[in-house]
Amino acid sequence: MLARELTYHNAVKVEPLPVEPFDKEWGVGISGNTPEPSPFPRINRILSKTVKTTNGFVSPDRAILVTEAYKKNPGAPQIIKCAEGMANVLRNTPIYIYDDELIVGGLGCDKKGTPVFPEFGLNWVVDEMRDGLMDYSEERTHDYFSFSKETQDKLESIRDFWNGNTIEDYANSILTDDELKGSHAGKGVFFADAYILCGAGHLGIGYDRLFKLGFKGIRKLILDHMENVDKSLPDGIKKYTFLRAELIVNEAATDHIMRYADLTKEKAGSEEDKTRKKELLQIHKNLKWISRNPPRTFWEAIQMVHLANCMVHIECNGHSISYGRFDQYMYPFYKQDIANGTSTREFMQELIENFYIKIWDLNKLRSHILIKTFGNGGIGGQALTVGGITKDGKDATNELTYMALDAHVHIRIPTPWLAVRLHAGTPWELKVKTVNTIRVGTGEPKIFNDDVTIPSMLSSNVEVKDARDYQVVGCVEPDATGKSYGWKDCGHMNMAKVLELAINDGRCINCGPECMRWQKCGAIGERLGVATGSLENFETFDEVLEAYDRQMKYWCDRHVSVLNAVDIAHQQLKPLPYLSSLMEGCIENGKDITMGGVKYNFSGPQGVAIGTTGDGLATIRQLVFEEKRISGKELLDAVRDNWVGHEPLYAYVNSEKVHHYGNDDDYADELTKFAMDTWCKHIEKRPNTRGGFYQPGAYSVTVNVAFGLKQWASVEGRKAFEPVSDCMGAVHTHCGSHDISGPTAICRSVTKLDHARATNGTLLNWKFSPTSLTGNTGRDSFIALIDEYIQRKGMHSQFTVANQETLIEAQKNPDEYRDLLVRVAGYSAYFVELSKELQDDIIGRTVLSFD
Amino acid sequence: MKITEDGEPYGLITNIQKYTIHDGPGIRTEIFFKGCPLRCIWCSNPEGQSYEQQIGIYPSKCIGLSKCSLCINSCPRGTDTPIKTEDDRLLSLQEIPECKNCFRCAEECPSRAIMIWGKKMSVPELMKVILEDRNFYLKTGGGVTLSGGEVMLQWEFAALLLKACRDASIHTCVESSLYCPTEHMEKVYEATDLVITDIKHMDTERHKEYTGVGNELILKNIKRTAELKKPLVIRIPVVPDHNNSEKNIRATGEFIRDVLGNHVIQLQLIPFRKIGTEKYATLNLPYPMGDFSPPERSVWEKNLLRLTEIMKEYNIPAVAGSSQKMC
Ligand code: SF4
Ligand code: SF4
Repeated sequence: MLARELTYHNAVKVEPLPVEPFDKEWGVGISGNTPEPSPFPRINRILSKTVKTTNGFVSPDRAILVTEAYKKNPGAPQIIKCAEGMANVLRNTPIYIYDDELIVGGLGCDKKGTPVFPEFGLNWVVDEMRDGLMDYSEERTHDYFSFSKETQDKLESIRDFWNGNTIEDYANSILTDDELKGSHAGKGVFFADAYILCGAGHLGIGYDRLFKLGFKGIRKLILDHMENVDKSLPDGIKKYTFLRAELIVNEAATDHIMRYADLTKEKAGSEEDKTRKKELLQIHKNLKWISRNPPRTFWEAIQMVHLANCMVHIECNGHSISYGRFDQYMYPFYKQDIANGTSTREFMQELIENFYIKIWDLNKLRSHILIKTFGNGGIGGQALTVGGITKDGKDATNELTYMALDAHVHIRIPTPWLAVRLHAGTPWELKVKTVNTIRVGTGEPKIFNDDVTIPSMLSSNVEVKDARDYQVVGCVEPDATGKSYGWKDCGHMNMAKVLELAINDGRCINCGPECMRWQKCGAIGERLGVATGSLENFETFDEVLEAYDRQMKYWCDRHVSVLNAVDIAHQQLKPLPYLSSLMEGCIENGKDITMGGVKYNFSGPQGVAIGTTGDGLATIRQLVFEEKRISGKELLDAVRDNWVGHEPLYAYVNSEKVHHYGNDDDYADELTKFAMDTWCKHIEKRPNTRGGFYQPGAYSVTVNVAFGLKQWASVEGRKAFEPVSDCMGAVHTHCGSHDISGPTAICRSVTKLDHARATNGTLLNWKFSPTSLTGNTGRDSFIALIDEYIQRKGMHSQFTVANQETLIEAQKNPDEYRDLLVRVAGYSAYFVELSKELQDDIIGRTVLSFD
Repeated sequence: MKITEDGEPYGLITNIQKYTIHDGPGIRTEIFFKGCPLRCIWCSNPEGQSYEQQIGIYPSKCIGLSKCSLCINSCPRGTDTPIKTEDDRLLSLQEIPECKNCFRCAEECPSRAIMIWGKKMSVPELMKVILEDRNFYLKTGGGVTLSGGEVMLQWEFAALLLKACRDASIHTCVESSLYCPTEHMEKVYEATDLVITDIKHMDTERHKEYTGVGNELILKNIKRTAELKKPLVIRIPVVPDHNNSEKNIRATGEFIRDVLGNHVIQLQLIPFRKIGTEKYATLNLPYPMGDFSPPERSVWEKNLLRLTEIMKEYNIPAVAGSSQKMC
């Protein structure tokens, strides 16, 4: 089909006029099982050569080049070492250009390859290679990385140099058992290891600013500030050194882009196909121009976005380096190119699709433990935001908003992670486009609610214009694009474990000699947490609430200590000069981003097991204090026995005879709100090490599975090691789902919680069976459901559309379902590549089936 | 009409389903009334047939007598209990007359292996649930649908509930076989905005064979509904080899055109699916179409679409399935 034939002009030619009609339907629950989904032959050709996996291979070049630079500059300040390391990589790492592509760039290795970041810790990499935990094995069935003997030897050769000098070493050296006992390294009350072995990421560079200045303009900015530094002031030398580092990486970035320009020219020289030759020469011109100057066309701009972002990855080792408000910062180029005939809608559509696939080719190395905890790999978290309101409060929807969504349906791969911002004034057409995209069933896009997110950001002292201009980063988090270092997703608190300790006098419910800490804890009469009394003795339910509150404070203290230690380690060892140059405020303040150079500095850990904790409190209140059906001791015993021998009680607590969150039942919903508010209360506004403060989040992504694996049974009817509840969702145990009243009840229950208070973001995962969404009744009811969620100040939702049978089938016959994309939480992934536990968790989510 | 000891009228309700989107316009809360005078052999809600509370049995959910036995221990008949067990598990419960006033086992059973079909609910109790989703109705032109079972069997209570909905400005829909005295129907219609009904067969003999009753009263009431100018949606539950002959479909089309004067806002041809079989088992009832195997879906869907096209020849707004908007 010719792309041109697709051009849609509705009868009255009203805006929007994207390539596809706004109400184009692609089907319901069809996911990725469509050959040649794009109208563009080039895109289908590229897709056919794209491997649909997050597995990859290890590339040693970056690690070697960084090491080389560090060795060359032994006495230099850390930030200069970092800058020289980055510069050496940008100038010397291998680069590639592939057939058919219109946008070039990568991470300094071939497609699906992943650089290594010894700054964070090299031992685990080399150990995993040696112990068979890096490549495919029974221990690592997905997100595995192959490597050559040569790679292994190369990395082995630099191991000693890094030993004792990594973030991991530093953080551990400043922490004591008191902080670590409840952490990932201890009993798993909280996890704070996300940024020990990798960078914090979770931000987006300021594209508007980059487009305005270009690398040349940034260079000028650096030089101007260098000139003005008064080196006699206490921090003068520090500032000057920082600016020196900025200059080093700025020049290297230009050189890096020029290397691509040269390579494209070389390719063009030997290209026989005339059309392709022309294309390559144009790409060459684009690159040459943007290596220094601000972009002039849509093509140059999108090329710049990709390369600038790739370089952030090369430097920082973080994920969720997001693409900001794509439809906003690209629109001026779009409009101008259409107006002056430089480009066509169809060609720009094709560029967007190419760009999306380029993102999928990137990859990131993760340890087998991190893969188990966070469930999924790939580059991870590169969100791209569209829609919403403008800085001055008007609806921001434009043609690119639609094209960005169409592009996803045309390629159906899980990058980037699309976020559509909705608000009270979102046009009907965009809602239809959003819902039709969701109905395809790839899990994209997620929806975000401006009407709660913006006030929530204002409550964190973000200025109005910055709050209105927020992007979504990673899975869940609202972010003031280009001005904020949010340390989003830096930690997780298992609220259900806190409740367990609260009702068992600070001891784990299964306390005994099998415990890893027994000798220094239980055996000598100690306890893991703080003594808050026991359910055996509480006389009123208020005592339970009070115990939970006190226990929460105790654990938040420790959680924050560990997070601060990790933050300090980053400041000392891994400043990020290249990233700093692209974030507003760093050059201006003469301060690296890790030191608090940007305008907004947050740290955002999440509360996990909201539903589990809420149902736990409801169960205790109803059975022990109101019905007096059982005593507190009996309930604790049943949990301690993992419900064995207490089967009727187990069935009862899992039945609808007990109040459960997710059924529009105030009894349980209010207690769930209390559970979450208590977490928020003890985290919000605590100061962090960068001059900012902590922001609580309310979601789990997939950490609920990992926390579950560390926790014994719990009062609401969970057996030992089952996942705790997912994000803001209701409880699903092996015995059954606790939410049984359908989607409207879920919508209402979940929005009784205070989303705005979770300033680091919230998430509700919905799962629909295709039959519930078919036809225009299905579509419009779905829109109404979303509208009500928005109106009731729900912040964020994501959707899986697949019938349960399909998921179970896919689990049994993975080979036949390689293309099946599902929404995990915060992102979509290939279902068959997820762990068995996570697959079960997704299958277990209530299918909102009502046909 | 039945009333509680406190003098409050109540209805016997099998189920309340929120977010139904196929039984009337928009998002609706559907209330299933218990009791039905018909016995359609393809019925997928057998728990709605009897106008009495009934015990439903799910042996697979039983957690085992040695671990529980709450049912047997609670049964006032002691060793003479009608609860039958096998291999440490609940097997069956052949209700005896005394059960009707007891149901203690079902109340005790923690796992819903024994449960009660049918709940007595008053208008205020139902309105509480209905009002929870009012915003969803407002957004979609939705509301409440009374369904069954057969609503008209509890016509007085239905009329009360509908009145309460209308007083609360909630759109009302009644889904009924219309096999009922015309006066009852008209009483119920006083606060009804939309009617959904079936034409199961135009040949009264076949109708009787499949549903237990002839079609005369039903057709008369449908005609009356049209005369009253009630917005009307008609469904044909198309069951292969039973009522899908071109002859029957054309006869239905002619009836709609000639007798109802095309006073129908939508005609839905609903594909038969073998569902509800497990519910028959819980009630100790045989599934009447147990031996019937429906044709392949692909063949069957084509057939349904063809029949839909035939209906359009009569200028009837016919659609296959129920996922296209009614109004
Ligand atoms: S010894 Fe007991 S209280 Fe202490 S950590 Fe182990 S299980 Fe928990
Ligand atoms: S009460 Fe229910 S679960 Fe217990 S033995 Fe009887 S049928 Fe089984």
